[in-house]
Amino acid sequence: MSKDDTRLQDISKPLNEQLVKIRFEDLMPLPAPFKGPEDEPPLTDPKPDWKKDYVTELDGYIGIDMPMPKNGVEEKELVQKFLNGLKKLLSENNNWEFLQPLMLSFEYCAQCQTCSDACPVYLSSGKKEIYRPTYRAEIVRRIIKKYLTKSGKIFGKFVGADIELNANTVLRLAEDAYRCTLCRRCAQRCPIGVDNGLITHEIRKLFSAELGIAPKPLHELGTVQHLEKGSSTGLTPEGFADIIEFIEDDIEEKIGKRIKIPVDEKGADILLIHNAGEYLSWPENPAAFAILFEEAGLSWTLSSEMVGYDGVNYGVWYDDVQLARVALKHAEIARKLDVNKIVIGECGHAHKAITIIADRVFHDEYNIPRESCLTLLWDLYRKGRFNLDPDKNDFPVTLHDPCNVVRLMGIVEPQRKILRAIAPQFREMSPNGVYNYCCGGGSGFAIMQSMNFPEFRNKLSARMKVKQVLEAFSDCISPDINKYFCLPCSNCKGATRDAFVHYGIWDKCRIIYSGLVELMVNAMVDLEEPFVEWEWH
Amino acid sequence: MVFNSVIKKEGERMPEIEVKGKKLALDEDGFLQDWEEWDEEVAQALAEDDRFTGAKVELSDAHWEVVRFLREFYIEKGVAPPIRQLIKEMKKRFGPDKGNQEYLYELFPQGPAKDACRIAGLPKPTGCV
Repeated sequence: MSKDDTRLQDISKPLNEQLVKIRFEDLMPLPAPFKGPEDEPPLTDPKPDWKKDYVTELDGYIGIDMPMPKNGVEEKELVQKFLNGLKKLLSENNNWEFLQPLMLSFEYCAQCQTCSDACPVYLSSGKKEIYRPTYRAEIVRRIIKKYLTKSGKIFGKFVGADIELNANTVLRLAEDAYRCTLCRRCAQRCPIGVDNGLITHEIRKLFSAELGIAPKPLHELGTVQHLEKGSSTGLTPEGFADIIEFIEDDIEEKIGKRIKIPVDEKGADILLIHNAGEYLSWPENPAAFAILFEEAGLSWTLSSEMVGYDGVNYGVWYDDVQLARVALKHAEIARKLDVNKIVIGECGHAHKAITIIADRVFHDEYNIPRESCLTLLWDLYRKGRFNLDPDKNDFPVTLHDPCNVVRLMGIVEPQRKILRAIAPQFREMSPNGVYNYCCGGGSGFAIMQSMNFPEFRNKLSARMKVKQVLEAFSDCISPDINKYFCLPCSNCKGATRDAFVHYGIWDKCRIIYSGLVELMVNAMVDLEEPFVEWEWH
Repeated sequence: MVFNSVIKKEGERMPEIEVKGKKLALDEDGFLQDWEEWDEEVAQALAEDDRFTGAKVELSDAHWEVVRFLREFYIEKGVAPPIRQLIKEMKKRFGPDKGNQEYLYELFPQGPAKDACRIAGLPKPTGCV
């Protein structure tokens, strides 16, 4: 591992210099069957063309795939807007939603660096300074000191106000805000609860709201498309109806029984909202939910209204206003359908958005009860509503804990209790529960596919999870044994799928990834054929 | 939210593809920026463009069956179909020999989801897919 002596002040360096370059020898080693560089794709350099429009001068990777005003153009405006945004971030009127925790984190960090060893990106990179949880936070803290306080303006670096705010600082900081998955493992580890994940979130928010800078997959193709077309996948209500019919056919073929999937049923007890990615990439997941809910005799419905069939809310990663727009739409749909509660399918950030963060904007008739599918499923299981035979799941299984469901919301045991009951070879990975590591796709990374960002994700943010999975299956890693990686979150599935392809996990180790409900249906006594298909997709 | 960004749109340098003397804009992964600019000659040019996938695709009748289906589906529903639905539909239309994953991967080695969609002029998939 090479020593990294990047300083905080380097963020302001002229743009002819890339601050950090990741080399293979820096990367955290992977366990067997990985032996060395020959077992994984090489690291690549950014294409020279990209340098003209995008900021490759942080670590060579591009998270923000919109052209940036580089090389002297509009630099002053960029800096001024950044400062204006920073002022707004620190004012009660403009940032009532997060001001208090933000200020606590700004004021109380003692720079003990306990959080650094909690960060999967920092560790996977061989401890590169720019990924340290305190790096971006401390830069912003010093900019505030230098430009927005009296003592900083007068005494400058003698009071720690020593970061030069120029266009280079702003551009590199924008990119660095997209090197953290907002998993908040650092906040959990902090002895006094400083939340560097929140600070990163607030930096992203500043860039989006004040400068119009956000990755296209999150904003233009994300929340904007979600509100305009109905889903960030582009899925229209007609397309949704078609896929529901396809899923009904598929269920009939697999279990020999036709289930009518309820759509827009007014007065149902539950409105179930899935991440629309499930319909398009993993339709077996909504199918498994339908089978289980039917078996349990629930009164439930899906919504075919725009936005109502896509539970994602990408605003939670970068923009409070977009978050509120989508969340209010979800609540409005539930209200119109007159349901008693919203149940969120296997999607972590949707859990966070609608149950935790949106709580601040859901008032009166909008404040509809929201529940995780995991607690509901355990409750149904506990009450004997399913007839399951664990012998049908007699293969090695390990479990991922989606950060937003487990660390944030504390839903730790329900999914485990189910797995212990229905998967005889279930084994925990280490660490797990609230101490889990992110899948690597958190905060939008799973859907950011432009240019070389997937390489950053696969090599740095997802590497820890790949390591954990390999270790959990170390006693049966041979490709002769089929293994099941249970991921109750669409976003985590997307990141894992790409990482597994990158590292060739299917061919090398025979591990498939899928959700919790698929495994439950696979154990159903009434099913003649297995529900889980042992093929890569 | 005010989105009056300081971002310049006109300076954007995106890859292009030339068809019948007309330059069509692509995204950074070689997908057509405007799906409505597509016709069969454009498809031909996209299939021959190996800058993004590293390999050309020789379009046969078999390829066209998939490409046309994707195109029709997209125009009607606004998205590419789930791969399982594509397989199922292929099976329905052309029989079990063509309605399976291996067959589709043989036609489109870079993956039917990605490469067939690119040739059919569909935008790159977005969202959690």
